[in-house]
Amino acid sequence: MRSKRTRTRKALPSTYTPAPGHRFNVGDRVVIKRAFPPGHRRTPCYIRGKEGVIERICGAFPNPEELAYGFDGEPAKVLYRVRFNQKHVWPDYQGPARDLIEMEIFEHWLAPASGRAQTAGPTQSG
Amino acid sequence: MSAMSDTAFDYYSHRKHDHEHDDHAPVAGEAEGPPSDYEIMSRAMQELLEAKGVVTAEEIRRRMEIFEEEFPYRGSRVIARAWTDPAFRARLLEDGKAACAEMGVELEATRLIAVENTPDVHNVIVCTLCSCYPRELLGMPPTWYKSDNYRARVVREPRSVLKEFGTVLPDNVTVRVHDSNADMRYVVVPIRPQGTKDWSEEQLAEILTRDTLVGVTVPQAPGKA
Amino acid sequence: MSDRPLNKGPHDLGGTAAGPIDTTDHGMKFWEKQANALRSTLGLKKIVRVDELRRAAEDLGDQYYKLAYFERTTMALRTLLLEKGLITEAELKAKMAEVRGRFDAK
Repeated sequence: MRSKRTRTRKALPSTYTPAPGHRFNVGDRVVIKRAFPPGHRRTPCYIRGKEGVIERICGAFPNPEELAYGFDGEPAKVLYRVRFNQKHVWPDYQGPARDLIEMEIFEHWLAPASGRAQTAGPTQSG
Repeated sequence: MSAMSDTAFDYYSHRKHDHEHDDHAPVAGEAEGPPSDYEIMSRAMQELLEAKGVVTAEEIRRRMEIFEEEFPYRGSRVIARAWTDPAFRARLLEDGKAACAEMGVELEATRLIAVENTPDVHNVIVCTLCSCYPRELLGMPPTWYKSDNYRARVVREPRSVLKEFGTVLPDNVTVRVHDSNADMRYVVVPIRPQGTKDWSEEQLAEILTRDTLVGVTVPQAPGKA
Repeated sequence: MSDRPLNKGPHDLGGTAAGPIDTTDHGMKFWEKQANALRSTLGLKKIVRVDELRRAAEDLGDQYYKLAYFERTTMALRTLLLEKGLITEAELKAKMAEVRGRFDAK
């Protein structure tokens, strides 16, 4: 989570929201669930089953899988940005090993990566 | 209603400089033929909702105006500020929505993450699942951004897609694709070109075209090869 | 096709085979700008959520591939307005005939 602002004037709106009780932290290795449930999901099929690293915690947001059907999506779910090496996502990836892809994944789609880590990708700052 | 679109066209020609068209905003649509069933359907739905008092014609007209005349020009102003003010740049990268609000650019529901290009990293944005895009910052997305082919290919072969836009990156630069698939929206902070050191924010905003802020092209300082 | 996982919607395009990109921005026709403003206004009033619109577009199935962007969004909005009882099929049919009549008369 981003540090709080120290400005004394009226608080500015933030990109991020609090994420109390978040399960994962920046730097954690995670795997996206290899599941194909019916209905509205915001986890693209191409990333399911892939391993990545938590890049940042975005906050907690109403679950789009419920909002899509007219429900209020509560309780909010923690949303993370996850970073992946392209070579770990596409077996035939044509570019260099340093290339990355990042996206937002809700907590219930994540599990801790287990076993031997995939070949470590280059570390990149924000 | 046709008077509204005439106003919009006049606005674009007023803003023209050396460019053939306004590179900050989507171009006016191509020649309008007879209405399709979908145009009829959309118009019909709007009229029914107006008759039922769900929306008013004035609300729709005002919203069209904001999309035409305000949204497309905000992104380049914000990024031009980031280019000239390092402290603002840092705040933009830390919290995009808050930094925009500082400048009076209210992003409504959009939550903005600004990603910076460096000599080592080039960022490019997509929404593979639909067409998520920071509309309150950049206006409506271009047709190519919403196209099935862009959505399919840029996540899997970004370098070859970038080449189709005329952008070639060496292998020692990381290409970082962002699939904006949930609540965040993205804007790229491009590298400021050489030869722009004494430029005003207005001049800088001119070269921060929409395509550079999505990451398919890089800003060009006129006069450079 | 045989490798396609179950329940992959037509919208889930990342990584699928595709051709060259038409890098020209073809802009928006007037009715498309108006349709966008309608959708946006309904969203601001919390009458229709963007998540619902996405879901309705995804549920178009194979028809999704046959429709252009604003055709998809128009069909999605139609689905939601009917679902929410804001319009009826009969009303829509009648109004479409009326609108079509006005265009034909020009």
